[in-house]
Amino acid sequence: MRIGALLLLILMSASSARAEELAAGLSRDDIKISSSFTGTDLVLFGAIESEGAAIGTVADRDVVVVVRGPNAPVTVRRKERLGPIWINRDQRQFVGVPSFYFVASTKPLQDIGDRATLDRYHLGLAHLDFNPPPGTVMPPADYRAAILRQKARGELYSEQPNGVQFISGSLFRTTIALPSNLPSGTYDVNVYLFRKREIVTAFSTPLRIGKTGVERWLFKFAADEPWIYGLLAVMLAGLAGWISSLIFRQRQ
Amino acid sequence: MLSVRPAHAFNAPFGSSCGPMEIYLPIAEMPVNILFMIGLGAAVGFLSGMFGVGGGFILTPFLMFLGIPPPVAVATQSTQVVASSVSGALTHLRNGTVDFKMGGILLIGGFCGSIAGIALFNALKAAGQIDLFIALSYVIFLGSIGGLMFWESLGALRHGESKVGASNRGPGAHTWIHFLPLKMRFHRSKLYISVIPPIVLGFLIGLLSVVMGVGGGFISVPAMIYLLRMPTSVVVGTSLFQITFIAAFTTMLHAVTNHTVDAVLAILLIFGGVIGVQFGVRFGARLRSEVLRLALAGLVLFICARLGVDLILPPSDPFSVVSETAE
Repeated sequence: MRIGALLLLILMSASSARAEELAAGLSRDDIKISSSFTGTDLVLFGAIESEGAAIGTVADRDVVVVVRGPNAPVTVRRKERLGPIWINRDQRQFVGVPSFYFVASTKPLQDIGDRATLDRYHLGLAHLDFNPPPGTVMPPADYRAAILRQKARGELYSEQPNGVQFISGSLFRTTIALPSNLPSGTYDVNVYLFRKREIVTAFSTPLRIGKTGVERWLFKFAADEPWIYGLLAVMLAGLAGWISSLIFRQRQ
Repeated sequence: MLSVRPAHAFNAPFGSSCGPMEIYLPIAEMPVNILFMIGLGAAVGFLSGMFGVGGGFILTPFLMFLGIPPPVAVATQSTQVVASSVSGALTHLRNGTVDFKMGGILLIGGFCGSIAGIALFNALKAAGQIDLFIALSYVIFLGSIGGLMFWESLGALRHGESKVGASNRGPGAHTWIHFLPLKMRFHRSKLYISVIPPIVLGFLIGLLSVVMGVGGGFISVPAMIYLLRMPTSVVVGTSLFQITFIAAFTTMLHAVTNHTVDAVLAILLIFGGVIGVQFGVRFGARLRSEVLRLALAGLVLFICARLGVDLILPPSDPFSVVSETAE
Protein backbone atom coordinates (compact mmCIF):
# COMPACT_ATOMS: atom_id res chain seq x y z
CA MET A 1 0.00 0.00 0.00
CA ARG A 2 2.67 2.38 1.15
CA ILE A 3 5.08 1.30 -1.51
CA GLY A 4 2.37 1.70 -4.12
CA ALA A 5 1.75 5.28 -3.07
CA LEU A 6 5.46 5.90 -3.19
CA LEU A 7 5.72 4.55 -6.71
CA LEU A 8 2.94 6.80 -7.84
CA LEU A 9 4.70 9.78 -6.30
CA ILE A 10 7.96 8.96 -8.06
CA LEU A 11 6.24 8.49 -11.40
CA MET A 12 4.48 11.81 -11.00
CA SER A 13 7.60 13.70 -10.02
CA ALA A 14 9.67 12.05 -12.74
CA SER A 15 7.17 12.85 -15.44
CA SER A 16 8.02 16.53 -15.18
CA ALA A 17 11.65 15.84 -16.06
CA ARG A 18 13.41 17.47 -18.99
CA ALA A 19 16.44 15.63 -20.40
CA GLU A 20 17.23 12.62 -18.28
CA GLU A 21 16.52 12.70 -14.59
CA LEU A 22 16.45 10.45 -11.57
CA ALA A 23 13.92 10.31 -8.78
CA ALA A 24 13.86 7.92 -5.88
CA GLY A 25 12.07 7.34 -2.62
CA LEU A 26 12.57 5.14 0.44
CA SER A 27 9.89 2.99 2.04
CA ARG A 28 10.81 4.84 5.27
CA ASP A 29 13.07 7.85 5.66
CA ASP A 30 12.98 8.19 9.46
CA ILE A 31 13.88 5.14 11.53
CA LYS A 32 13.65 5.10 15.32
CA ILE A 33 15.75 2.42 16.93
CA SER A 34 14.32 1.13 20.18
CA SER A 35 15.63 -1.69 22.37
CA SER A 36 13.55 -4.19 20.41
CA PHE A 37 15.09 -3.16 17.06
CA THR A 38 16.43 -6.26 15.32
CA GLY A 39 17.33 -4.63 12.04
CA THR A 40 15.05 -3.89 9.13
CA ASP A 41 14.89 -3.95 5.36
CA LEU A 42 14.46 -0.66 3.57
CA VAL A 43 13.18 -0.59 0.00
CA LEU A 44 14.33 2.11 -2.40
CA PHE A 45 12.31 2.72 -5.55
CA GLY A 46 13.56 4.89 -8.32
CA ALA A 47 12.65 6.02 -11.79
CA ILE A 48 14.58 7.32 -14.80
CA GLU A 49 12.73 9.77 -16.95
CA SER A 50 14.28 10.49 -20.32
CA GLU A 51 12.95 12.82 -22.99
CA GLY A 52 12.35 11.10 -26.31
CA ALA A 53 12.35 7.66 -24.60
CA ALA A 54 15.10 6.14 -26.73
CA ILE A 55 14.47 2.42 -26.24
CA GLY A 56 17.75 1.43 -27.82
CA THR A 57 19.82 2.99 -25.05
CA VAL A 58 18.26 0.99 -22.19
CA ALA A 59 21.05 -1.58 -22.34
CA ASP A 60 23.94 0.80 -21.58
CA ARG A 61 22.51 2.49 -18.53
CA ASP A 62 23.38 1.51 -14.98
CA VAL A 63 22.25 2.58 -11.56
CA VAL A 64 24.33 2.72 -8.38
CA VAL A 65 22.70 3.25 -4.97
CA VAL A 66 24.86 4.32 -2.03
CA VAL A 67 23.73 4.67 1.59
CA ARG A 68 26.36 6.27 3.77
CA GLY A 69 26.23 6.85 7.54
CA PRO A 70 27.95 9.73 9.34
CA ASN A 71 31.75 9.73 9.30
CA ALA A 72 33.69 8.97 12.48
CA PRO A 73 37.33 8.68 13.48
CA VAL A 74 38.47 5.06 13.88
CA THR A 75 41.39 3.53 15.79
CA VAL A 76 42.86 0.26 14.54
CA ARG A 77 45.11 -1.72 16.84
CA ARG A 78 47.26 -4.67 15.93
CA LYS A 79 48.02 -7.50 18.37
CA GLU A 80 51.46 -9.02 18.34
CA ARG A 81 53.01 -11.78 20.35
CA LEU A 82 55.12 -10.57 23.26
CA GLY A 83 56.54 -13.52 25.19
CA PRO A 84 53.63 -15.85 25.87
CA ILE A 85 50.83 -13.31 25.48
CA TRP A 86 49.18 -11.36 22.67
CA ILE A 87 49.30 -7.64 23.20
CA ASN A 88 48.15 -4.56 21.25
CA ARG A 89 51.36 -3.12 19.85
CA ASP A 90 50.78 -0.73 16.96
CA GLN A 91 47.80 1.59 16.77
CA ARG A 92 46.81 3.77 13.81
CA GLN A 93 44.08 6.29 13.31
CA PHE A 94 41.82 7.03 10.38
CA VAL A 95 39.42 9.91 9.88
CA GLY A 96 36.35 10.15 7.67
CA VAL A 97 35.40 6.51 8.05
CA PRO A 98 31.67 6.04 7.38
CA SER A 99 29.85 4.37 10.26
CA PHE A 100 27.64 2.62 7.72
CA TYR A 101 28.17 2.00 4.02
CA PHE A 102 25.94 0.17 1.57
CA VAL A 103 26.37 0.12 -2.17
CA ALA A 104 24.16 -1.71 -4.67
CA SER A 105 24.39 -1.59 -8.44
CA THR A 106 22.88 -3.12 -11.53
CA LYS A 107 26.16 -4.93 -12.30
CA PRO A 108 29.66 -5.13 -10.75
CA LEU A 109 31.03 -1.61 -10.23
CA GLN A 110 34.17 -2.07 -12.35
CA ASP A 111 31.88 -2.80 -15.31
CA ILE A 112 29.89 0.39 -14.70
CA GLY A 113 32.48 3.12 -14.32
CA ASP A 114 36.19 3.91 -14.56
CA ARG A 115 38.40 3.72 -11.51
CA ALA A 116 38.79 7.50 -11.40
CA THR A 117 35.04 8.03 -11.36
CA LEU A 118 34.47 5.38 -8.69
CA ASP A 119 37.25 6.93 -6.58
CA ARG A 120 35.89 10.45 -6.93
CA TYR A 121 32.39 9.48 -5.82
CA HIS A 122 33.57 6.82 -3.32
CA LEU A 123 31.57 4.10 -5.02
CA GLY A 124 32.45 0.65 -3.73
CA LEU A 125 34.34 -0.56 -0.66
CA ALA A 126 37.61 -0.47 -2.61
CA HIS A 127 37.06 3.20 -3.39
CA LEU A 128 36.30 4.52 0.09
CA ASP A 129 38.64 7.25 1.25
CA PHE A 130 40.06 6.39 4.68
CA ASN A 131 42.82 8.82 5.55
CA PRO A 132 45.09 9.20 8.52
CA PRO A 133 44.65 12.42 10.54
CA PRO A 134 46.42 15.40 8.88
CA GLY A 135 50.16 15.38 9.42
CA THR A 136 50.50 11.62 9.94
CA VAL A 137 51.70 8.94 7.56
CA MET A 138 49.45 6.48 5.73
CA PRO A 139 49.20 3.19 7.66
CA PRO A 140 49.93 -0.08 5.85
CA ALA A 141 47.15 -1.48 3.67
CA ASP A 142 46.21 -4.27 6.10
CA TYR A 143 45.00 -1.68 8.64
CA ARG A 144 42.51 -0.40 6.09
CA ALA A 145 41.58 -3.98 5.22
CA ALA A 146 40.92 -4.67 8.93
CA ILE A 147 38.33 -1.86 9.04
CA LEU A 148 36.57 -3.21 5.95
CA ARG A 149 36.66 -6.77 7.30
CA GLN A 150 35.32 -5.95 10.76
CA LYS A 151 32.67 -3.52 9.53
CA ALA A 152 31.51 -6.16 7.05
CA ARG A 153 31.40 -8.74 9.84
CA GLY A 154 29.12 -6.41 11.81
CA GLU A 155 26.95 -6.03 8.67
CA LEU A 156 27.75 -2.32 8.65
CA TYR A 157 29.49 -2.43 5.26
CA SER A 158 28.12 -4.28 2.29
CA GLU A 159 28.44 -4.31 -1.46
CA GLN A 160 25.67 -5.79 -3.64
CA PRO A 161 26.98 -5.96 -7.25
CA ASN A 162 23.57 -7.05 -8.56
CA GLY A 163 21.45 -5.43 -5.87
CA VAL A 164 19.63 -2.98 -8.13
CA GLN A 165 16.98 -4.49 -10.38
CA PHE A 166 15.03 -2.86 -13.18
CA ILE A 167 11.33 -3.60 -12.82
CA SER A 168 10.51 -2.02 -16.14
CA GLY A 169 12.39 0.09 -18.68
CA SER A 170 12.56 3.07 -16.35
CA LEU A 171 11.71 1.77 -12.87
CA PHE A 172 14.27 0.19 -10.56
CA ARG A 173 14.40 -0.97 -6.98
CA THR A 174 16.85 -2.18 -4.36
CA THR A 175 16.60 -3.56 -0.83
CA ILE A 176 18.86 -2.06 1.85
CA ALA A 177 19.45 -4.32 4.86
CA LEU A 178 19.89 -2.30 8.04
CA PRO A 179 21.45 -4.32 10.89
CA SER A 180 20.46 -4.18 14.58
CA ASN A 181 23.66 -2.34 15.59
CA LEU A 182 22.93 0.58 13.26
CA PRO A 183 24.70 3.80 14.32
CA SER A 184 22.41 6.79 14.64
CA GLY A 185 22.66 10.01 12.65
CA THR A 186 21.65 11.46 9.32
CA TYR A 187 22.54 9.18 6.43
CA ASP A 188 22.98 10.19 2.80
CA VAL A 189 21.23 8.14 0.18
CA ASN A 190 22.68 8.82 -3.26
CA VAL A 191 21.52 7.34 -6.53
CA TYR A 192 23.75 7.66 -9.61
CA LEU A 193 22.80 7.04 -13.22
CA PHE A 194 25.69 5.88 -15.43
CA ARG A 195 25.71 5.94 -19.20
CA LYS A 196 28.77 4.83 -21.16
CA ARG A 197 30.83 4.67 -17.93
CA GLU A 198 30.03 8.29 -17.05
CA ILE A 199 27.69 9.70 -14.44
CA VAL A 200 24.80 11.39 -16.24
CA THR A 201 22.72 12.46 -13.31
CA ALA A 202 22.33 11.85 -9.60
CA PHE A 203 19.69 12.05 -6.92
CA SER A 204 20.14 12.55 -3.19
CA THR A 205 17.84 12.13 -0.22
CA PRO A 206 18.49 11.98 3.54
CA LEU A 207 17.71 9.04 5.82
CA ARG A 208 17.41 9.77 9.51
CA ILE A 209 18.34 7.07 12.03
CA GLY A 210 17.50 8.02 15.60
CA LYS A 211 17.59 6.08 18.82
CA THR A 212 14.72 6.09 21.23
CA GLY A 213 13.66 4.50 24.50
CA VAL A 214 14.84 4.29 28.11
CA GLU A 215 18.23 2.82 27.17
CA ARG A 216 18.94 5.79 24.93
CA TRP A 217 17.95 8.18 27.67
CA LEU A 218 20.20 6.41 30.19
CA PHE A 219 23.13 6.48 27.75
CA LYS A 220 22.74 10.23 27.27
CA PHE A 221 22.22 10.76 31.00
CA ALA A 222 25.46 8.88 31.80
CA ALA A 223 27.35 10.97 29.24
CA ASP A 224 25.78 14.39 29.91
CA GLU A 225 25.38 14.31 33.71
CA PRO A 226 28.05 11.86 34.85
CA TRP A 227 28.15 13.20 38.44
CA ILE A 228 24.43 12.84 38.99
CA TYR A 229 24.35 9.50 37.19
CA GLY A 230 27.21 8.16 39.32
CA LEU A 231 25.66 9.46 42.55
CA LEU A 232 22.31 7.88 41.67
CA ALA A 233 24.00 4.55 40.86
CA VAL A 234 25.82 4.60 44.21
CA MET A 235 22.65 5.58 46.11
CA LEU A 236 20.63 2.89 44.37
CA ALA A 237 23.26 0.28 45.25
CA GLY A 238 23.40 1.52 48.85
CA LEU A 239 19.63 1.37 49.11
CA ALA A 240 19.59 -2.19 47.75
CA GLY A 241 22.23 -3.16 50.31
CA TRP A 242 20.27 -1.54 53.14
CA ILE A 243 17.04 -3.29 52.18
CA SER A 244 18.79 -6.64 51.90
CA SER A 245 20.34 -6.17 55.33
CA LEU A 246 16.87 -5.48 56.77
CA ILE A 247 15.52 -8.68 55.21
CA PHE A 248 18.59 -10.55 56.39
CA ARG A 249 18.15 -9.34 59.99
CA GLN A 250 14.54 -10.46 60.10
CA ARG A 251 15.45 -13.89 58.84
CA GLN A 252 18.15 -14.42 61.45
CA MET B 1 30.94 4.58 22.70
CA LEU B 2 32.41 1.57 20.95
CA SER B 3 30.53 0.57 17.85
CA VAL B 4 32.67 -2.30 16.69
CA ARG B 5 34.24 -4.85 18.96
CA PRO B 6 36.18 -8.02 18.41
CA ALA B 7 33.91 -11.03 18.64
CA HIS B 8 33.97 -12.87 21.93
CA ALA B 9 33.88 -16.60 22.18
CA PHE B 10 31.35 -16.99 24.97
CA ASN B 11 28.20 -15.45 23.59
CA ALA B 12 25.93 -18.46 23.59
CA PRO B 13 23.17 -17.00 25.84
CA PHE B 14 22.90 -13.87 23.73
CA GLY B 15 21.21 -13.54 20.42
CA SER B 16 21.89 -10.65 18.10
CA SER B 17 18.32 -9.56 18.65
CA CYS B 18 16.24 -8.48 21.60
CA GLY B 19 13.55 -11.03 22.46
CA PRO B 20 10.78 -10.65 25.01
CA MET B 21 13.03 -11.49 28.01
CA GLU B 22 15.91 -9.45 26.70
CA ILE B 23 17.02 -6.04 27.81
CA TYR B 24 19.47 -3.72 26.12
CA LEU B 25 22.33 -2.63 28.37
CA PRO B 26 22.69 1.10 27.67
CA ILE B 27 26.39 1.43 28.52
CA ALA B 28 27.70 -2.02 27.58
CA GLU B 29 25.67 -1.53 24.37
CA MET B 30 24.49 -5.09 23.99
CA PRO B 31 21.30 -7.04 24.58
CA VAL B 32 21.24 -9.57 27.42
CA ASN B 33 18.65 -11.96 28.75
CA ILE B 34 17.13 -10.55 31.97
CA LEU B 35 16.67 -13.94 33.66
CA PHE B 36 20.18 -15.05 32.69
CA MET B 37 21.78 -11.93 34.24
CA ILE B 38 19.69 -12.18 37.44
CA GLY B 39 20.61 -15.87 37.55
CA LEU B 40 24.31 -15.03 37.20
CA GLY B 41 23.99 -12.46 40.02
CA ALA B 42 22.17 -15.06 42.16
CA ALA B 43 24.75 -17.78 41.44
CA VAL B 44 27.64 -15.50 42.40
CA GLY B 45 25.64 -14.23 45.41
CA PHE B 46 25.12 -17.86 46.43
CA LEU B 47 28.88 -18.51 46.26
CA SER B 48 29.49 -15.28 48.08
CA GLY B 49 27.12 -16.23 50.90
CA MET B 50 28.45 -19.79 51.05
CA PHE B 51 32.12 -18.88 51.18
CA GLY B 52 31.77 -15.54 52.92
CA VAL B 53 33.58 -13.69 50.13
CA GLY B 54 32.69 -10.60 48.14
CA GLY B 55 32.21 -12.36 44.84
CA GLY B 56 33.45 -9.52 42.64
CA PHE B 57 36.52 -11.48 41.61
CA ILE B 58 34.22 -14.20 40.17
CA LEU B 59 31.56 -11.96 38.66
CA THR B 60 33.86 -9.58 36.75
CA PRO B 61 35.62 -12.34 34.74
CA PHE B 62 32.22 -13.89 33.95
CA LEU B 63 30.94 -10.56 32.64
CA MET B 64 34.04 -10.33 30.44
CA PHE B 65 33.48 -13.90 29.14
CA LEU B 66 29.97 -12.83 28.14
CA GLY B 67 31.39 -10.12 25.91
CA ILE B 68 30.83 -7.12 28.17
CA PRO B 69 33.78 -4.75 27.61
CA PRO B 70 36.25 -5.13 30.51
CA PRO B 71 36.12 -1.41 31.52
CA VAL B 72 32.30 -1.63 31.78
CA ALA B 73 32.49 -4.94 33.67
CA VAL B 74 34.92 -3.48 36.22
CA ALA B 75 33.06 -0.19 36.73
CA THR B 76 29.66 -1.88 37.07
CA GLN B 77 31.14 -4.43 39.44
CA SER B 78 32.19 -1.67 41.84
CA THR B 79 28.54 -0.56 41.99
CA GLN B 80 27.60 -4.11 42.93
CA VAL B 81 30.33 -4.08 45.62
CA VAL B 82 28.67 -0.97 47.14
CA ALA B 83 25.41 -2.91 47.57
CA SER B 84 26.97 -6.03 49.05
CA SER B 85 29.32 -4.17 51.39
CA VAL B 86 26.60 -1.77 52.66
CA SER B 87 24.52 -4.79 53.55
CA GLY B 88 27.39 -6.44 55.45
CA ALA B 89 28.69 -3.24 57.03
CA LEU B 90 25.25 -2.36 58.48
CA THR B 91 25.11 -5.72 60.26
CA HIS B 92 28.55 -5.06 61.76
CA LEU B 93 27.57 -1.50 62.74
CA ARG B 94 24.63 -2.89 64.73
CA ASN B 95 26.92 -5.39 66.43
CA GLY B 96 29.50 -2.66 67.16
CA THR B 97 32.30 -4.53 65.41
CA VAL B 98 33.72 -1.61 63.39
CA ASP B 99 36.92 0.29 64.28
CA PHE B 100 36.03 3.70 62.85
CA LYS B 101 39.43 5.24 63.49
CA MET B 102 41.23 2.43 61.68
CA GLY B 103 38.58 2.53 58.96
CA GLY B 104 39.19 6.28 58.53
CA ILE B 105 42.97 5.82 58.21
CA LEU B 106 42.42 3.02 55.67
CA LEU B 107 40.07 5.34 53.77
CA ILE B 108 42.70 8.11 53.50
CA GLY B 109 45.00 5.62 51.79
CA GLY B 110 42.08 4.17 49.85
CA PHE B 111 40.97 7.46 48.30
CA CYS B 112 44.56 8.21 47.25
CA GLY B 113 44.83 4.69 45.81
CA SER B 114 41.60 5.10 43.85
CA ILE B 115 42.75 8.40 42.35
CA ALA B 116 46.12 6.90 41.40
CA GLY B 117 44.25 3.87 40.05
CA ILE B 118 41.94 5.87 37.81
CA ALA B 119 44.91 7.84 36.40
CA LEU B 120 46.63 4.54 35.58
CA PHE B 121 43.38 3.07 34.24
CA ASN B 122 42.74 5.98 31.88
CA ALA B 123 46.35 6.13 30.70
CA LEU B 124 46.20 2.43 29.82
CA LYS B 125 42.83 2.92 28.15
CA ALA B 126 44.24 5.67 25.94
CA ALA B 127 47.16 3.39 25.05
CA GLY B 128 44.77 0.57 24.11
CA GLN B 129 46.12 -1.70 26.84
CA ILE B 130 43.35 -1.62 29.45
CA ASP B 131 41.63 -4.88 28.43
CA LEU B 132 44.93 -6.72 28.61
CA PHE B 133 45.83 -5.06 31.92
CA ILE B 134 42.52 -6.02 33.55
CA ALA B 135 42.81 -9.61 32.28
CA LEU B 136 46.45 -9.87 33.44
CA SER B 137 45.59 -8.46 36.88
CA TYR B 138 42.89 -11.08 37.22
CA VAL B 139 45.14 -13.92 36.09
CA ILE B 140 47.79 -12.95 38.65
CA PHE B 141 45.27 -12.24 41.42
CA LEU B 142 43.10 -15.33 40.89
CA GLY B 143 46.11 -17.56 40.22
CA SER B 144 47.86 -16.69 43.47
CA ILE B 145 44.72 -16.73 45.62
CA GLY B 146 43.32 -19.89 44.05
CA GLY B 147 46.68 -21.62 44.33
CA LEU B 148 47.14 -20.67 48.00
CA MET B 149 43.59 -21.72 48.88
CA PHE B 150 43.90 -24.98 47.00
CA TRP B 151 47.15 -25.86 48.75
CA GLU B 152 45.88 -24.84 52.17
CA SER B 153 42.51 -26.63 51.93
CA LEU B 154 44.13 -29.80 50.55
CA GLY B 155 46.49 -29.82 53.51
CA ALA B 156 43.62 -29.21 55.92
CA LEU B 157 41.61 -32.05 54.41
CA ARG B 158 44.57 -34.40 54.67
CA HIS B 159 45.30 -33.55 58.29
CA GLY B 160 41.69 -33.87 59.35
CA GLU B 161 41.25 -30.47 60.95
CA SER B 162 42.33 -27.01 59.95
CA LYS B 163 44.92 -25.15 61.99
CA VAL B 164 44.24 -21.45 62.19
CA GLY B 165 47.22 -19.11 62.26
CA ALA B 166 50.24 -21.39 62.08
CA SER B 167 52.73 -18.78 63.30
CA ASN B 168 50.79 -17.25 66.17
CA ARG B 169 53.21 -14.93 67.87
CA GLY B 170 50.73 -13.48 70.32
CA PRO B 171 49.72 -9.87 70.87
CA GLY B 172 52.93 -8.84 72.67
CA ALA B 173 55.34 -9.87 69.95
CA HIS B 174 57.00 -7.10 67.94
CA THR B 175 57.43 -7.04 64.18
CA TRP B 176 59.06 -4.53 61.82
CA ILE B 177 55.76 -2.65 61.76
CA HIS B 178 56.31 -1.48 65.35
CA PHE B 179 59.47 0.38 64.39
CA LEU B 180 57.72 2.70 61.94
CA PRO B 181 57.09 6.35 62.92
CA LEU B 182 53.75 8.29 63.14
CA LYS B 183 52.21 6.02 65.75
CA MET B 184 48.57 6.34 66.69
CA ARG B 185 46.36 4.68 69.27
CA PHE B 186 43.42 2.62 68.01
CA HIS B 187 41.22 1.96 71.07
CA ARG B 188 38.71 -0.32 69.40
CA SER B 189 41.47 -2.56 68.02
CA LYS B 190 43.59 -2.21 71.18
CA LEU B 191 46.56 -1.19 69.04
CA TYR B 192 49.29 1.45 69.16
CA ILE B 193 50.87 1.33 65.72
CA SER B 194 52.17 3.54 62.96
CA VAL B 195 49.60 4.86 60.48
CA ILE B 196 51.89 4.00 57.55
CA PRO B 197 50.90 0.30 57.17
CA PRO B 198 47.12 0.99 57.20
CA ILE B 199 47.55 3.86 54.72
CA VAL B 200 49.63 1.66 52.40
CA LEU B 201 47.09 -1.15 52.75
CA GLY B 202 44.22 1.25 52.02
CA PHE B 203 46.10 2.58 48.99
CA LEU B 204 46.50 -0.96 47.63
CA ILE B 205 42.78 -1.70 48.15
CA GLY B 206 41.82 1.55 46.38
CA LEU B 207 44.07 0.62 43.46
CA LEU B 208 42.58 -2.89 43.21
CA SER B 209 39.08 -1.49 43.47
CA VAL B 210 39.56 0.77 40.44
CA VAL B 211 41.46 -1.67 38.23
CA MET B 212 39.59 -4.87 39.06
CA GLY B 213 36.25 -3.75 40.51
CA VAL B 214 36.75 -5.95 43.56
CA GLY B 215 36.27 -5.11 47.23
CA GLY B 216 39.70 -6.43 48.07
CA GLY B 217 38.55 -8.32 51.18
CA PHE B 218 40.80 -11.16 50.09
CA ILE B 219 43.80 -8.96 50.75
CA SER B 220 42.57 -6.58 53.45
CA VAL B 221 41.25 -9.24 55.86
CA PRO B 222 44.45 -11.35 56.05
CA ALA B 223 46.57 -8.16 56.09
CA MET B 224 44.57 -6.71 58.99
CA ILE B 225 44.84 -9.95 60.97
CA TYR B 226 48.45 -10.94 60.32
CA LEU B 227 50.15 -7.63 59.50
CA LEU B 228 48.28 -5.04 61.57
CA ARG B 229 47.37 -7.67 64.20
CA MET B 230 43.87 -6.33 64.69
CA PRO B 231 41.46 -8.45 66.79
CA THR B 232 39.57 -10.83 64.47
CA SER B 233 36.24 -9.57 65.86
CA VAL B 234 36.62 -6.10 64.28
CA VAL B 235 38.48 -7.07 61.11
CA VAL B 236 35.55 -7.98 58.84
CA GLY B 237 33.35 -5.09 60.01
CA THR B 238 36.14 -2.52 59.56
CA SER B 239 37.06 -3.95 56.16
CA LEU B 240 33.42 -3.78 54.98
CA PHE B 241 33.03 -0.26 56.41
CA GLN B 242 35.97 1.12 54.44
CA ILE B 243 35.23 -0.80 51.23
CA THR B 244 31.71 0.66 51.15
CA PHE B 245 33.21 4.12 50.75
CA ILE B 246 36.03 3.01 48.45
CA ALA B 247 33.61 1.21 46.12
CA ALA B 248 31.27 4.23 46.09
CA PHE B 249 34.21 6.54 45.32
CA THR B 250 35.47 4.17 42.61
CA THR B 251 32.01 4.00 41.03
CA MET B 252 31.96 7.81 40.90
CA LEU B 253 35.46 7.95 39.35
CA HIS B 254 34.48 5.47 36.62
CA ALA B 255 31.13 7.18 36.02
CA VAL B 256 32.64 10.67 35.76
CA THR B 257 35.81 9.95 33.78
CA ASN B 258 34.75 7.06 31.52
CA HIS B 259 30.93 6.79 31.63
CA THR B 260 31.36 3.04 32.03
CA VAL B 261 28.90 2.34 34.89
CA ASP B 262 25.98 0.35 33.46
CA ALA B 263 23.10 1.00 35.84
CA VAL B 264 20.80 -1.56 34.20
CA LEU B 265 23.40 -4.31 34.46
CA ALA B 266 24.16 -3.31 38.07
CA ILE B 267 20.48 -3.52 39.05
CA LEU B 268 20.11 -7.01 37.53
CA LEU B 269 23.26 -8.28 39.26
CA ILE B 270 22.41 -6.71 42.62
CA PHE B 271 18.86 -8.07 42.52
CA GLY B 272 20.11 -11.60 41.78
CA GLY B 273 22.91 -11.26 44.32
CA VAL B 274 20.62 -10.25 47.19
CA ILE B 275 18.55 -13.42 46.70
CA GLY B 276 21.54 -15.68 46.08
CA VAL B 277 23.39 -14.64 49.24
CA GLN B 278 20.50 -15.73 51.49
CA PHE B 279 20.52 -19.28 50.13
CA GLY B 280 24.30 -19.44 50.00
CA VAL B 281 24.69 -18.64 53.69
CA ARG B 282 22.28 -21.39 54.74
CA PHE B 283 23.69 -23.95 52.35
CA GLY B 284 27.27 -23.15 53.34
CA ALA B 285 26.51 -23.71 57.04
CA ARG B 286 25.83 -27.38 56.32
CA LEU B 287 29.12 -28.09 54.54
CA ARG B 288 32.63 -28.68 55.88
CA SER B 289 34.67 -25.52 55.46
CA GLU B 290 37.69 -27.36 53.96
CA VAL B 291 35.47 -28.85 51.25
CA LEU B 292 33.99 -25.41 50.60
CA ARG B 293 37.40 -23.80 50.31
CA LEU B 294 38.65 -26.55 48.00
CA ALA B 295 35.60 -26.05 45.76
CA LEU B 296 36.10 -22.28 45.68
CA ALA B 297 39.82 -22.74 44.94
CA GLY B 298 38.89 -25.00 42.04
CA LEU B 299 36.48 -22.42 40.64
CA VAL B 300 38.97 -19.56 41.05
CA LEU B 301 41.71 -21.57 39.29
CA PHE B 302 39.31 -22.48 36.48
CA ILE B 303 38.41 -18.82 35.85
CA CYS B 304 42.11 -17.91 36.02
CA ALA B 305 42.97 -20.59 33.43
CA ARG B 306 40.14 -19.48 31.14
CA LEU B 307 41.36 -15.87 31.23
CA GLY B 308 44.96 -16.98 30.80
CA VAL B 309 44.22 -19.15 27.77
CA ASP B 310 42.53 -16.20 26.04
CA LEU B 311 45.72 -14.17 26.46
CA ILE B 312 47.99 -16.91 25.13
CA LEU B 313 46.00 -18.30 22.20
CA PRO B 314 46.53 -16.47 18.90
CA PRO B 315 43.56 -14.13 18.34
CA SER B 316 41.22 -14.95 15.46
CA ASP B 317 41.88 -11.47 14.11
CA PRO B 318 45.02 -9.64 15.28
CA PHE B 319 43.38 -6.31 14.43
CA SER B 320 40.79 -4.59 16.57
CA VAL B 321 38.77 -1.67 15.28
CA VAL B 322 37.23 0.93 17.54
CA SER B 323 35.03 3.70 16.15
CA GLU B 324 34.08 6.81 17.99
CA THR B 325 30.39 7.61 17.93
CA ALA B 326 29.50 10.05 15.19
CA GLU B 327 26.83 12.22 16.71
